[in-house]
Order: sequence, then C-alpha cells, then structure tokens
Amino acid sequence: MKKTLSFLMALLMGAMLFSGCGGSTTASSEAAPEAASSEAAASEAAASEAASSETASESTDAALPETFILGLDASFPPMGFTDENNEIIGVDIDLAKAVCDKLGMTFEAKPIDWDAKDMELATGKITCIWNGLTITDERLENYEMSRPYMENDQVIVVMNDSDINAKADLAGRIVAAQKDSSGLEALMADEICASIQDGTPKEYADYVTALGDLELGRCDAIVMDSIVADYYITANQKDMRLLDETMAAEEYGIGFKKGDTALLEAVENALSELAAEGTVAEISQKWFGRDDAIITY
Amino acid sequence: MSWSEILTTTSALMQGLGVVLVLFFVVLAASMPLGFLLTLCTRSRFKPLSWLVNAYIYVMRGTPLMLQLFFIYFGLPLLGEPFRTLFFDALTCALVGFTLNYAAYFAEIFRGGLLSIDVGQYEACKVLGLNRWQTTTRVILPQMVRVALPSITNESITLIKDTALVFSIAIPEILHYAKVAVSRTGSIVPYAIAFVIYLALNTVLQIFFNWLEKRLAY
Repeated sequence: MKKTLSFLMALLMGAMLFSGCGGSTTASSEAAPEAASSEAAASEAAASEAASSETASESTDAALPETFILGLDASFPPMGFTDENNEIIGVDIDLAKAVCDKLGMTFEAKPIDWDAKDMELATGKITCIWNGLTITDERLENYEMSRPYMENDQVIVVMNDSDINAKADLAGRIVAAQKDSSGLEALMADEICASIQDGTPKEYADYVTALGDLELGRCDAIVMDSIVADYYITANQKDMRLLDETMAAEEYGIGFKKGDTALLEAVENALSELAAEGTVAEISQKWFGRDDAIITY
Repeated sequence: MSWSEILTTTSALMQGLGVVLVLFFVVLAASMPLGFLLTLCTRSRFKPLSWLVNAYIYVMRGTPLMLQLFFIYFGLPLLGEPFRTLFFDALTCALVGFTLNYAAYFAEIFRGGLLSIDVGQYEACKVLGLNRWQTTTRVILPQMVRVALPSITNESITLIKDTALVFSIAIPEILHYAKVAVSRTGSIVPYAIAFVIYLALNTVLQIFFNWLEKRLAY
C-alpha cells in the first residue's frame, strides 16, 4: 500500500509539474482520503470534537467521516458548477462548506460522471450526492434522502420567438428533456406526452446539449429545472423564455448512502443552526438575489 | 466569446493536460513491454500458457475499456477488506486499466510484426550459430519493430484520445474541463479549444513517429 501510495504521489507531482502547478484542487485531493495517516485522523477527530463542543446539538460525532466528499456533476449552475479557473462553486457548495465548518469535517468537492453516481456512493468514494438532486420515490428508496432544502419547478423552455405559449401548444412538436432527469419523468407522466411529435420525448445526455439544439431549431421545447433554466438564460443572455404553465413541482434534497442516518441527522441539524445564524439567508441572497430561496427549518 | 475568455478557457482546459500526459507516457512505457511479453507467451510451446494469454487478449480486446475501468475502480472495492491492497486510487486504476488493455492490442500488433518475418531468417540464425536470445534481440526484433511501427503509431494516437475515458472514474481531464466550460458559458467554443489541443498533441506525436520511421528505414 505504502509503495503504491508513494508511486502515486510521484505521479501526481509529475502531473502537477506538467500542468504548471495550476493549483488544481482535484489532483491533490484525489489521494487525500486514503493517504491521511492515523495521526492526522486523530487530530481531525479532536478538532471535530472541539468544534462540536461549541455547538450544543451535536452528539453523533463518532460516526462522522473526517473528509466530507461531495459528489456532483460540476456542470449544474447555479447549484454546483465549475468556474473559469476550474474551481467548483455554487449554492450547494457554499451550503456544504458551511456545514463542514460546523461539524469539523474537511470539505472536498468531487466532480463525478453522473451516470456512475450510484456506484460512487455505494463504494464510499463519495460521502453524498449534493447537486440539486430532486427527491423522487425511487431515490427515497435507494438513498438516505435529506428533508427538502429548495423548491423547484419543471418548466417548459422555448425560444423567445416561438409560437408555443401554453402546454397544449406542445402537440405535434419536438419536446426534449435530459435523460434520467425528473424533467423527463414529469413530461412522460403528463397527458400531453402522447400528442407530442413521435409520441415520445427527445432525450439528451445533458441539458446544455438540449438548449444548444433548441437554439438551432432541432427541438421546439425543453422540460427542465426552473432554477437551472433561469440561471442559464440570465447568465448567458439567451433569447429564451419559460412558459407560465409548469409541468410539475418538486424539491431538492441531499442523497446519502442508505443507512448513513447519523451523518444525515448531523448535516440536517447543522443546516438548522446555519439557518438560525442567518448564513443560509446570506447564501440565498448571494445566488438568487433574495434571502428566502432556500428552505429553512 | 471574446479573446480573453478564450484564453482563460484554454488555460482551464490545460489543467487536464497533466493527466493526459501522465497516462500517455506511463501506459505506453508499461504496455509495450508487457505486450511483447504476451506475444512471446502466445508463441510458447507450453500450450496452457499460450491458451491463457490468448484468452486474456480475447477478453481485453472484446470488451469496452470503460467497463474494464469500472471493474477496477468500483468492482475491486466490493471484494471487501481482505483485498484492501487492491483498492487503488482513481489515477492508479486508470493506469492499470489502460496498461492491461493496451498490452493486449500491442501483443497483437507485435504478433503481426513477427508474422512478416520469413522462416528463412530463423534458419539463417541457426546456421550462424546464434542462440535464441541473440536471434530474438539482434535479428527478429529490429525487423519486427519496423513492420509494427505504423500500427504502434496508430495505437498511440488512439491512446491520446482514449484518455478522455478517465472521467468515467472521476478523473477530470481536458474533455471534462471543456464540458463544464460549455455548461457554464452556453457556448460550444470550449469544445473547439479541446479539439485543437488534442490535434496539437497528436501532431507532435505524428512528427515524432514519422521521424522514427525514417530512422528505422534500413
């Protein structure tokens, strides 16, 4: 193990040399969880105890991991995405960092292949999925889901000059959604789905490709998260609009590994404390321009 | 996209270059000798060994590299605690997976190279009194390499492009950084930048192999 590690370290250093020490957070953090020596573990534990003695409510520290590895798609603005310096930022990242500070855990954001998220979680390579994850019946069964922390609508996005003004106008049109998304589920569950072109939605690997195709006219409307659509259209000044009529209302939650209830409770308690301190409102203000976008308890 | 944005995006994409280069050099340096060893094994007179290696090549070439990476990265940890030494880091998993996969292809490339060598060459070596080691290293290998070189070039170019697969096991590389830039800006210019970076890498590679081919044209 030691040999593998030192070999790996050498490689990583090589990698950093090549990338001109680009301050890439991901490269250096790859080895961190396993490389941490027992002494580091001990001092981390001590630190987390010290931190929690200040906050009265935490009593489940023993079950908390030293490193809180947040798994995310890293291309889901404004919840979690990558800025121009390859730093991972977003609403979820700010919230998670604040929670980690409170619970004395080391924070790490790990971009993962979204299709592999279940395996990442099952093998413990990530601690949770915290990335605008819609709470669905299926996920409630497969994950230890947190209580909802944000409300989101599945909305219909069209071009500004489109003649589609209501859900009923989608009949005979090409309607798209991201594969495996709750937007796709909402569209399939809706009665309008039978009358859209081909009787079935057009599925895209990610919503950006879908939006690109909407601009090019290869599809007529997209069903997607209102939070992401709003941000995308405003931030990139796209010639698109949302219909007033929505497809479905839903909520975002945090997904932990099944059985990881101690950590889930600790995170929820920390979020409640952060809400009481006003930190949550600050984060909401920063990203959405209003202080009540994030649900508090 | 403005020029300054293109510049920042390019430098963001270049952060994925380190991983690509490490993968390229380590995998090439490890899989070529391993591949040659496999070729020798398939020619072994000890039949079980040759069958075993042929089966290995069959499996490695017959399944997607991405699945193989999944097995090494996600599958091995499922074996449980006794196999803890096999729980590699993401980058080690990628290096191991790529090397095992590419060695199978190189084994076949070298086999093709060896097929091109006339049986008369072996007979001549025997007549000259060369032993097996001398025959292989002094006579057969140099001729084999010359024949195999165009295929080796081909495989190396594929390797550069295949590195884009490592994001499936959560290692960010050039294409991943391009993808996140596209989702942030809503413009496909970052893909164009990635296109140019890959092409530039392979241009250097091709110039090198062209030079090598000329040098070995004896």
